[in-house]
Amino acid sequence: MEASPLAGLAAGVVLVAAGLALFTRALLVGADRGITLGGPTSAPIVVTGLWVVVAVVYLGTRVAAWRRRVPRPAAARPTWRVPILLLGLLVAYAFVLKYTAVGYVFATVLFYVGAAALLSTRPVREVIVRDAIVGVVLSLAIYLAFTKLLGIVLPAGVLPL
Amino acid sequence: MNAIANLLGGFGTVLTPQNLLYAAIGVTVGTLVGMLPGIGPALTIALLLPVALELDDPTGTLIMFAGIYYGAMYGGSTTSILLNTPGESASVATSIEGYQMAKRGRARAALATAAIGSFVAAIITTVLLTFVTEPMARLAVTFRASDYFALALLSMVTVTAVVGASIVRGLMSLTFGLFLGIVGIDALTGQARFTFGVQSMLDGIDVVVVIVGLFAVGETLFIASRLRELPEKAVPLEPATGFAWLSRADWSRSWRPWLRGTALGFPFGALPSGGAELPTFLSYMYEKRRSRNREEFGRGAIEGVAGPEAANNASFSGVLVPLLTLGIPTSATAAVMLAAFSYFNLSPGPQLLQNQSTLVWALIASLFVGNVLLLALNLPLIQLWVKVLQIPRPLLYSGILVFATLGVYAVSGNIVDVLLAYGIGLVAMLMRHLDFPIAPAILGLILGPLMETQFRRALLLADGDLSIFVKRPLTLILLLLAVAALALPHLPKLFRGRRADRLTVVTGED
Repeated sequence: MEASPLAGLAAGVVLVAAGLALFTRALLVGADRGITLGGPTSAPIVVTGLWVVVAVVYLGTRVAAWRRRVPRPAAARPTWRVPILLLGLLVAYAFVLKYTAVGYVFATVLFYVGAAALLSTRPVREVIVRDAIVGVVLSLAIYLAFTKLLGIVLPAGVLPL
Repeated sequence: MNAIANLLGGFGTVLTPQNLLYAAIGVTVGTLVGMLPGIGPALTIALLLPVALELDDPTGTLIMFAGIYYGAMYGGSTTSILLNTPGESASVATSIEGYQMAKRGRARAALATAAIGSFVAAIITTVLLTFVTEPMARLAVTFRASDYFALALLSMVTVTAVVGASIVRGLMSLTFGLFLGIVGIDALTGQARFTFGVQSMLDGIDVVVVIVGLFAVGETLFIASRLRELPEKAVPLEPATGFAWLSRADWSRSWRPWLRGTALGFPFGALPSGGAELPTFLSYMYEKRRSRNREEFGRGAIEGVAGPEAANNASFSGVLVPLLTLGIPTSATAAVMLAAFSYFNLSPGPQLLQNQSTLVWALIASLFVGNVLLLALNLPLIQLWVKVLQIPRPLLYSGILVFATLGVYAVSGNIVDVLLAYGIGLVAMLMRHLDFPIAPAILGLILGPLMETQFRRALLLADGDLSIFVKRPLTLILLLLAVAALALPHLPKLFRGRRADRLTVVTGED
């Protein structure tokens, strides 16, 4: 399953750009603190330098593939809406856990139901009751097992547990 | 012999109720997660690390982790055979013939030859491991810093060259891992590197964060991007027949591939060659060429399941050789095991066998126990395990995300680490879409810092004289092997034009 030539090309450009930025930074730090073989600044320069070289070669292969214009089966086209929404939901979940008083159990139930709904190919109203039940059981079980049995602290929030 | 006495001592440690419980939990959890598509042993061990730290029992934890590894291999073969969705590259060869057998109503025979073959391979190779460990550790004591540097380099290069579709992509993935390994305070001088002013980055990027990101978050996002292509239902099981579900003909067709797979798996696992991927495919190609039932291949030939599965399990005992004696991981899961060791302030390597011999021998003894447990658990309870495959995907993957977040949060309690894991997950999803292999990134992360330390130590000892890396014969040989490893995968291409069966060249068989 080869990705589209354009996607590979874009990835190559991003990789080269990122590599150059990191390499420059490593060189600047090296110039600032001094570069000695076996010193702390040489490994960053070697690794980011390798990054640039490999990224350039990769970009080269992608340019070649793009010029050959390899046709691509339409069926393999990914959809980006669900993973982006899922990622947003994850970030929201992390912030709610850390910075609000909602607590682990409630936040996890909400996240679980939301994520399951995003990942489902069936209509939400058909599955929401099942998802919610599983979510409640799962998050309660995790919370009790971690806090009571293992002694790992999770945010209690509003629940009187 | 000394090794036997040590092993018996190891059994003494393992056969206590508590450690047996750890082994049983390990193989059960391992089988479960091995069956779930997309979750492998590396991720499971990473997620269990915080829990294991709380238990504060290194021996029990490592016994459990070994159980998880083996269990995951058994579970993975079940999924490959019944669902045709190999969870990791080492199960791909099994799924080719296994799924065909299942579709033709021979699912039980395929499962049985996989399970019994795995058992046979594991027992034989654990015996080998028992006798190889001590001589190898004695040899390892003579290794100097420059040798370690060269060995780590060889390990990284071979894995990168072997795994995945192209060397360029493998190298890019490796470089990404190497870069992640640099982030944080330099151990020797205390200088901050690539921390971008973020306080919590000073400690470096935790292995758990990277693995959770690469595997759990990355895999789920990847699945989310192609929801409509998920595989259909698992193949139903036929009624049980024969002894252990294998007919007399099945037994006679299976035992040779088991032994040949074992013979391939162990040395390839012990060499830095990317663990199980290469030996499973070599075994498959070999059985296909040698079989008297060659026309059956592609339509469900039992040899094509028996050989690769044995090779897969045999390679794990092989992987343990360099891991325990040199502290060099040769696969992604071994890299996570290495991280587990360091969580307990144990450093695998020549000293481990001297300072922690109880632990090492208990671990080796637990491999025997774990495999007996697995055989006893797997075949009789297969109906139960198949139910796992019927869990709806949305519930499963949402649960994985919950556990992934929990795993990172429990390790650090730090939101930066959680967000970092999500970010790495996004990168991993793109990597999967663009066909970049994941394993080199993990090896880069683990081996990179090790390599840098050994390089600097070697230079320090040689008063900054670079020629230390070519003067010492062992170092030079290892470095030359690393160069050869980069070139070797390209050799078969030169021969490919004439024959489709290109692996003849590699196996050296005619």
